[in-house]
Amino acid sequence: MVDAGLLLAAFMLPFLAILLAMPRFMKYLRMSGRVVDDVHKTPPTKVPCPVGPLLFIGALVGEVFVYLAFGSLIPLVVVGGAGIAFAVGIVDDLFVLGGKTKPLLLVFAAAPLVVAALLQSGVYDASIAFPLLGSTGAHFTIYTLLVVAAFPIVANAFNMMDSFNGQISGFTVLTSLALLFAVVLRATFDSGYSLARVASVLPLVAISGAFYIFNRFPSQAFDGDSGALMLGAIFATLAVTSGVEIAAIIAIVPAILNSFYTLSSARGFVERRRMTTRPTRLGEDGKLYASMEKSAPTTLIRLILLSGPLDEQGVVREVLLLTAVSCLLSCATSVLTWVH
Amino acid sequence: MRGAALIAIELAAFLLIIGETYFFFMAIVPLGPVPHGLGEYTAITLAKVLLTFGLGVLWLVVVASITRLYVRSKLRPHPPTPSA
Repeated sequence: MVDAGLLLAAFMLPFLAILLAMPRFMKYLRMSGRVVDDVHKTPPTKVPCPVGPLLFIGALVGEVFVYLAFGSLIPLVVVGGAGIAFAVGIVDDLFVLGGKTKPLLLVFAAAPLVVAALLQSGVYDASIAFPLLGSTGAHFTIYTLLVVAAFPIVANAFNMMDSFNGQISGFTVLTSLALLFAVVLRATFDSGYSLARVASVLPLVAISGAFYIFNRFPSQAFDGDSGALMLGAIFATLAVTSGVEIAAIIAIVPAILNSFYTLSSARGFVERRRMTTRPTRLGEDGKLYASMEKSAPTTLIRLILLSGPLDEQGVVREVLLLTAVSCLLSCATSVLTWVH
Repeated sequence: MRGAALIAIELAAFLLIIGETYFFFMAIVPLGPVPHGLGEYTAITLAKVLLTFGLGVLWLVVVASITRLYVRSKLRPHPPTPSA
């Protein structure tokens, strides 16, 4: 009963923090001139950006509560990784980092996780559990190298899903729920699994859920790179500390595919503001069209629009449908991994 | 259905991730006998690196090929429908 109350508080505290503080923070951003054009509207509307700092505060509130309630090191590791990714993102929001600088700096978001694992055993398990086949042996060095390489990939993948109203928030809500399902399932069937790991996931569900209310069509707030990179770093940290890596990777397959398409067709890390040919265009009817030029970068959105034009809400609905499918595959992976 | 082809690509990526990660940890990581001497150690390490690189390339090639087929089918001009 006490545990249920603590889990509820781990969700409600960050959720209410974002819900109550967001209107004031948006007002502050508007008054200080921190607004950007919502380019998919005709004419473009002005939207407060970035609300990433408030999302970070929400995550901080939730994870510090989990630390105080459960006494586990995991929430502090989550906050550490989130803080570094947030710092990289806020510098990018204010000064615009180069296409290659950002991923390089995001490697440091893995530092709190690796340092904590070196100082204390049990922060993460250096093996991977597979559906039906069981776990691999522990390989600390190889596993840790993969973790370090994964941080910029996952954080950037989240950032690249931040193009339309409600896209990043809806994507994070769905994928964090798939992550929560995997963690709850593991906690149910693995007797040695601590409840603190379940509680650590709840602030991510809470902040993305509360943010969706303001970010859905028509958006009242954009998170900026500081928000999107931080959400990706939190997701990566939780996937590793919870030991549900495969389920987590499956859940974000649409984002991984989107990054891969963009990187391969743009021939490397190119800041999206510097792309010469755009993958999509906004028609005079307010609908989005895929570029029919062969040289246009292939992105997930362009692939969706190749079947015909859609309005912004339709595009986001298609992206979230693909995400829902990958989350269902993730849940199936979790069941096949943990239910004995 | 608009998203059916993309869901198929997603499924292929999913199956490849599962299969390749399993192959990496079960076949590549424990590859070879315990190395004796620098030469044997270097050869085994090199083999592991090359095989891992090969897995990455395989994922990229398969996903890129399926996607290219999809894009090509969509960019191909469709014949006009005969009027009644």
